[in-house]
Amino acid sequence: MELMDKLTVLADSAKYDVSCVSSGSSRKNTPGGIGSGAAAGICHTFTGDGRCVSLLKILMSNCCMYDCAYCVNRVSNDVPRASFTPEEVAAVTINFYRRNYIEGLFLSSAVVRSPDHTMEMILKAVSMLREQYRFNGYIHIKAIPGADAVLIEKAGRYVDRMSVNIELPTNDSLKLLAPQKKKEAILGPMGFIKERIHETNDYKNRFKSTPSFVPAGQSTQMIIGATPDPDVKILRLSEGLYKRFGMRRVFYSAYVPVSNHPALPRTVRPPLLREHRIYQADWLLRFYGFKADELLDDKHCNFDTQLDPKCDWALRNLHTFPVEINKADYLLLLRVPGIGVRSAQRIINARRIQKLDFADIKKLGVVLKRARFFITCKGKYIDRLEASEDFIRMNLLAGRERLPALDTGYTQLSFLPPEPSPFKQLGAPTAEDMAASVTGEL
Amino acid sequence: MLIYVYDGSFEGILTSVFEAFSRREVPDAILPEDGLQQELFASYSHIQTDPAKSDRVYTSIWKNISDDALKNVYHTFLSEDPDAATLIYRYLKLGWKMGSKVDMFLSNDTVFRIMEINRRLGFEVHRLKGFVRFRQVGEGIYYSSISPDNNVVELLAPHFAERLSDQKWIIHDVRREIAALYNLKQWIVSEFSAGEIPDATDEEKLYSKLWKRFFTTLEIPSRSNPKLQRQLLPRRYWEHLTEKW
Repeated sequence: MELMDKLTVLADSAKYDVSCVSSGSSRKNTPGGIGSGAAAGICHTFTGDGRCVSLLKILMSNCCMYDCAYCVNRVSNDVPRASFTPEEVAAVTINFYRRNYIEGLFLSSAVVRSPDHTMEMILKAVSMLREQYRFNGYIHIKAIPGADAVLIEKAGRYVDRMSVNIELPTNDSLKLLAPQKKKEAILGPMGFIKERIHETNDYKNRFKSTPSFVPAGQSTQMIIGATPDPDVKILRLSEGLYKRFGMRRVFYSAYVPVSNHPALPRTVRPPLLREHRIYQADWLLRFYGFKADELLDDKHCNFDTQLDPKCDWALRNLHTFPVEINKADYLLLLRVPGIGVRSAQRIINARRIQKLDFADIKKLGVVLKRARFFITCKGKYIDRLEASEDFIRMNLLAGRERLPALDTGYTQLSFLPPEPSPFKQLGAPTAEDMAASVTGEL
Repeated sequence: MLIYVYDGSFEGILTSVFEAFSRREVPDAILPEDGLQQELFASYSHIQTDPAKSDRVYTSIWKNISDDALKNVYHTFLSEDPDAATLIYRYLKLGWKMGSKVDMFLSNDTVFRIMEINRRLGFEVHRLKGFVRFRQVGEGIYYSSISPDNNVVELLAPHFAERLSDQKWIIHDVRREIAALYNLKQWIVSEFSAGEIPDATDEEKLYSKLWKRFFTTLEIPSRSNPKLQRQLLPRRYWEHLTEKW
């Protein structure tokens, strides 16, 4: 098989993995070596669906022995199969890197023969890059659930990030769609990686020469909308993963229909808006000091599709508002819809010099369209406003076409040819929304 | 209206600032000679660039304001914003009054604009760290062309000098006809115009093809969102991207 065909097949199989992050590691170049890490991460290009490409994201092989219903590479699916050799992976990575196409490598694999065999292949490619080519760029690999701890430990010394995908939010869903995978087999390596990272950090404090272990931490991914789990379960799981396993990131991927398995929903298009809301909430957990239980509870178990999670929370907690811009502390400012991390920090700095007014905070980047209902400057509201939920909700939604209710995938059949809708369909999040999910500013 | 005219160099700006203070004048604008449009009711004063004077201002910025202020001022100059010199003058004037706290005074228009310009420039540098595309031209020499909004080659060079330290490379700013050149030991910025660029080697053809294929394969058609792509990867950068040819 030609290299070109292999790359096509194996990149195609890998593209449903969301993570393409190259941040968190500031690995330095070595004399005579090539490459370095950039702590902030660098995006090298963006595909037509607006996703960032920063790593050469490929599978070692897509000849999988498992049969998970949601996955393109399941053994029962009729797709072209291919495998890279470690030499090919290394050569392509280095040559792409020299041309600044990529920031590094993201190597994953379907499970070939056995988890151990697969992990060995990955380890071989990674060690070749680091030892033979003296490559110091970013490397992210998958830890294959069920692989021997020694192999994971060895690989962890070479790479910047390791991840184990949790795939589905509950054990029941896992049983339904991926009967060969066990929750324990997934959480096992996660716990192992976490302990090793802790241990390494501990040693690092005492011995400077401690070899690094997964310096950019671990991440995981789950699929949204392939099972009927509500948002609250997903969010609680994420919170647990951040707390218990020290995850750097939990990624969510809207389920893209790739098979006709009877247990899977028949969606027409991926639930992008739901994915987007969950990402927004994820940011609230990580950077805004929110807890999962504040955002959702068992009564209110899915996100409002029309309002972002922060507005939604604010409307249910009107007693915390208004917030005085010139006095409120940082964490409280962050809770105001329309104020993000950057504008909150700017407010904190700017008000040391001068008391701020609405004109000033607008300049600092506060989105007054949302924030105006929740803040006062020098003790005054911007305008005559009513502090009632209905009034605020109506105003927040005004001027915006109503978003459709959650996409069920069903459409009404019609006898007549479809008429163009008078309302623009807003099924997919707007560019602005998507950008917000990348930069984390709501 | 009093307008100072300088020669377009960074030293020229600093000399103008020096002159404004020593002559006890408050110029309404400081403009570069290039593209100057004479106004009827304005008096013009041409400032002769003087290294001794600009050095004094330079030292005073980091001594009496802050290192950050010096960086802000220099980056504002690199941004080639039409108001750059005037803004720098006003910013420094405020800076010498307030000290290092000046950068917090975001409700002030001048400070805010300086910060905006710096943010935009920093963002472009960051973007280009990803968007620069090298191609191999001859034995072990890699060439790349860019046409950025701000004059950023000298800010890009250190990044690539560390990262790609074992290959010779050229980052050519086509718009300004300057380039950063690296010879395995150090990098310099000099005037540059690319003559004939030799045909791509076989290896180069193979990898650029592989990359293009990889790029197109990655897209998930059911998530297609070209507007978002253009927002994150604006059209003006496409001209130099291998995958967009």
